[in-house]
Amino acid sequence: MKIEKKEVLRYLGYKNQKIDKNLIDLIEVCCKEIIDICKESFVYEIFDIERKNNQVFLLGSTLVLKDKDIINHLASSKKCLVMAATLGIAVDNRIAYYSRFNITKGLIMDACATTAIENLCDELQAEFMENALVDNLHITNRYSPGYGDFSIENQGDILNVLDAFKKIGLSVTESSIMLPRKSVTAFIGLSEIENLKSKDKCKSCKNKDCDFRKDGRYCV
Amino acid sequence: MVDIVCKKINFNDFLLFDGAMGTMLDKYGIKRGELPEIYNILHPEIIEKIHNDYIDAGSDVITTNTFGANRHKLKNLQYTVSEIVGSAVKIARKAAGDRLVALDIGPIGQLMEPLGMLSFDDAYETFAEQIKIGASEGADIILIETMTDIYEAKAAILAAKENSSLPIICTMSYQNDGRTLTGTDPITMVNVLQALGVDAIGVNCSLGPNEMLPIVTELLKYSRVPVIVQPNAGLPKLKNRQTVFNVEAHEFAEYAKLMAEMGVTILGGCCGTTSEHIKAIKNVLKNLEPVKRNVQKITAVSSSSLTVVLGEDIKIIGERINPTGKKKLKEALKNNNMDYILTEAINQRDAGADILDVNVGLPEIDEREVMIQVIKELQSVVNLPLQIDSVRPDVIEAAVRIYNGKPLINSVNGKEEVMESIFPIVKKYGACVIGLTLDDSGIPSKAEDRLKIAEKIVRRAEEYGIDRADIIIDCLVLTASAQQSEVKETIRAVELVKATLGVKTTLGVSNVSFGLPQREILNRTFLAAALTAGLDAPILNPLSANMISTVNAFNVLWNNDINSKKYINAYSSFEEKTITKEVVKNRDLNKIIIDGLKEEAKELTVELLKTMSEMEIVNKYLIPSLDIVGKKYESGEIFLPQLLQSAETVKKAFEVIKESLLLSTGTKLSKGTIALATVKGDIHDIGKNIVKILLENYGFEVIDLGKDVHENDVVNAVKSGNIKLVGLSALMTTTVRSMQETIEALRENNLDCTVFVGGAVLNEEYAEMIGADYYAKDATESVKIARKFFKCE
Repeated sequence: MKIEKKEVLRYLGYKNQKIDKNLIDLIEVCCKEIIDICKESFVYEIFDIERKNNQVFLLGSTLVLKDKDIINHLASSKKCLVMAATLGIAVDNRIAYYSRFNITKGLIMDACATTAIENLCDELQAEFMENALVDNLHITNRYSPGYGDFSIENQGDILNVLDAFKKIGLSVTESSIMLPRKSVTAFIGLSEIENLKSKDKCKSCKNKDCDFRKDGRYCV
Repeated sequence: MVDIVCKKINFNDFLLFDGAMGTMLDKYGIKRGELPEIYNILHPEIIEKIHNDYIDAGSDVITTNTFGANRHKLKNLQYTVSEIVGSAVKIARKAAGDRLVALDIGPIGQLMEPLGMLSFDDAYETFAEQIKIGASEGADIILIETMTDIYEAKAAILAAKENSSLPIICTMSYQNDGRTLTGTDPITMVNVLQALGVDAIGVNCSLGPNEMLPIVTELLKYSRVPVIVQPNAGLPKLKNRQTVFNVEAHEFAEYAKLMAEMGVTILGGCCGTTSEHIKAIKNVLKNLEPVKRNVQKITAVSSSSLTVVLGEDIKIIGERINPTGKKKLKEALKNNNMDYILTEAINQRDAGADILDVNVGLPEIDEREVMIQVIKELQSVVNLPLQIDSVRPDVIEAAVRIYNGKPLINSVNGKEEVMESIFPIVKKYGACVIGLTLDDSGIPSKAEDRLKIAEKIVRRAEEYGIDRADIIIDCLVLTASAQQSEVKETIRAVELVKATLGVKTTLGVSNVSFGLPQREILNRTFLAAALTAGLDAPILNPLSANMISTVNAFNVLWNNDINSKKYINAYSSFEEKTITKEVVKNRDLNKIIIDGLKEEAKELTVELLKTMSEMEIVNKYLIPSLDIVGKKYESGEIFLPQLLQSAETVKKAFEVIKESLLLSTGTKLSKGTIALATVKGDIHDIGKNIVKILLENYGFEVIDLGKDVHENDVVNAVKSGNIKLVGLSALMTTTVRSMQETIEALRENNLDCTVFVGGAVLNEEYAEMIGADYYAKDATESVKIARKFFKCE
């Protein structure tokens, strides 16, 4: 696990301000601490896709996708990989601790953890891509609940299908907040057609007010 | 409760459980995401067939298909808990014949408070519902399994004990690092759960048999009840896009044999195992006899993730969370200032305490309520085991019930009525307890007479079924100024008690010096003498360097601190720490705040207080510097972490100023009181905490209601505190609804208060739509709103 400090700064809203050594050191310490306590784990399954009545069925599972954006995302895919990944509960615990007794550190730790979970997902995605290539398949970007019109209220069903609580301790609250907090669920399409990866992830996102949108990036 | 005659279960012989239910259901085509428990109703014949397969394979016990049959998981389905659990037990009962049926209880699937939203009471009620139904339908055993949070396991065990008379088996799932997902290690699991009175304890799921071996070894080392092991058939692997387990039946059985030879007596399988695996175990068990284990008893207390064993090296019990003689702590308890209490705990931990005493007895407060709150907060912040200290049995019981671990109760003594009220609590909740050597005639002056009382306490405790290993005797320290000749009787008593009864000992060391000057000299000298006599766990102030150094030195001299490692670690760089002081004097507080150098703020403020008043410092330094920092933030010259560094620096200065005001004039500095809450259903509180620190920086008093706050709690706080300004935070589209409900509740109750709201998904329009008075786009905006509202401009 490595945490890119540039990314951490981006999540902290950094816009080229002058920063002293103290703060740089603190960010360094926070990155190390997150790496030290995080227990990355993940679970995924691949399902065949069946399309019927403008819906996408993931065969062998209870998942039926009805929202336009996710259906578009999987438009040319014949299979769909469903994944969940988490940094584990110790990270939540430590962030909660600092956000109470050392708020600067709490905020920075939170940004480090966000960077770390994104990084973990990027690594997994790269691995999925390699695995898919063996079968002459190409992958789409990952698509998560909360993007576009795909509601976060889908989290519960996704975690059930993956048996994520039992396997990696990942749960979801009634308000669809995943716990541990630093967790991601996502769908990745597998297709015979190459180059489905949209270069600008922001373009397909409907969150126009997003702070991280401006520099062409997308949020967690 | 339906009265059912329990089958006698022979825990002295081998007991063979079944294997996985889910893996078998896969073969029948269950879909991913389908709740397996609905098969009890939709396809009972399949469930019965699976049970029969296991019985044919030789299982002595079959497990009902009820792993996830709880009210939380069934919430959106058309079946009730009663229907699912009832049908499951009926099917199993029918298949089992004269074999045993274990009612399966899995985790609820939600994280427990404080990191999650499931309360201990909710967990208890959820389990109690399943258990009542399962017991009345004729289950023989309650199997609480695959637990990853020991707090949830405790709720389930209490629910089982209080709602049935069936034997209880509890297993937890471990990760490769030897801990459960929430951090419990095997010794802690045994120490906590065995004491709660389970009939067998063990490990299941997550790992294969090979990976489980080190955990099983640890469990066998400490568990005095039978040990159960139900591994997965190896670690899951993905093969042709199917999850497969790769330990075949014969290999699995070889591990079972090895574990049986190590002392495991209850065996079975988890994910990936089938009737083939069970059949293979049955075969190897035929030629084996259960191994008799000799388990060494230990005296140990535990938090959820840390066990402190007494009698190895010296363990320090921190005494500072006790309001007697502590003005600031009294004030904090009265104002419900949890941060102060928690900081006391953190400081003691950092100074070397191993266990923390918690006493919140003040006549002005509801001791029971405050004790529950303090215990919940402490166990979420520090992982040291807690010592629950009260003279009221009802307070002790409420605290040990919700404690997430094996606590130490302080205390019982030789008075009959005290033992009668405390020992049942010690037994039921599996605590350790301190026994004071006094009775109705007071503290005997002679060591021999104190020993007699200690003997009586131990004897009576054993009559209640409490193990003597769970008793720690306090021979009581008398003050040298009043009863000088009896001070050494305490030392003699420690020797006598240890030699005669073989129990561990504690002493409240600093009592010895009351009324004499330079108390620490007497305290540390007495401590050294008591340690030599065999004192195991002194109760003292860990912030006193003299006391800690005496303990550290003793641990070296008595060969407890092997190679003096801890000692060298603590003192080799000792000189370096005292240099920086002189530098501070000539510095400018304004610059320190703007630069965010929080370590320097405290001393400089102390220095400034010598020449100027508290309010002068606030108005001349703190507010102007904050204004500068605020402007820099708004203009983009600095970013959020830099703003917060300055805010924390001001906070340090403020702490000194507040303390000075309290001590000199007895007054509080407050420019107005504001309640803050992250609304119901939402747990994001970094944003709220940032707003809090900035508001406090400007002299506002903040009532922090926390996260996931129900609207009624906001209404009550506003009512009782007569609060005029309320800040609400929500970060999710799903929780903005609760924000609206909270505002509506405030309006419906005709409370004359102004509400400002903030959070990532809000904007000016949205805020207005849900009925807020102000929208705060960030923390500095909140300050502006508050200053305007309280006319501080």
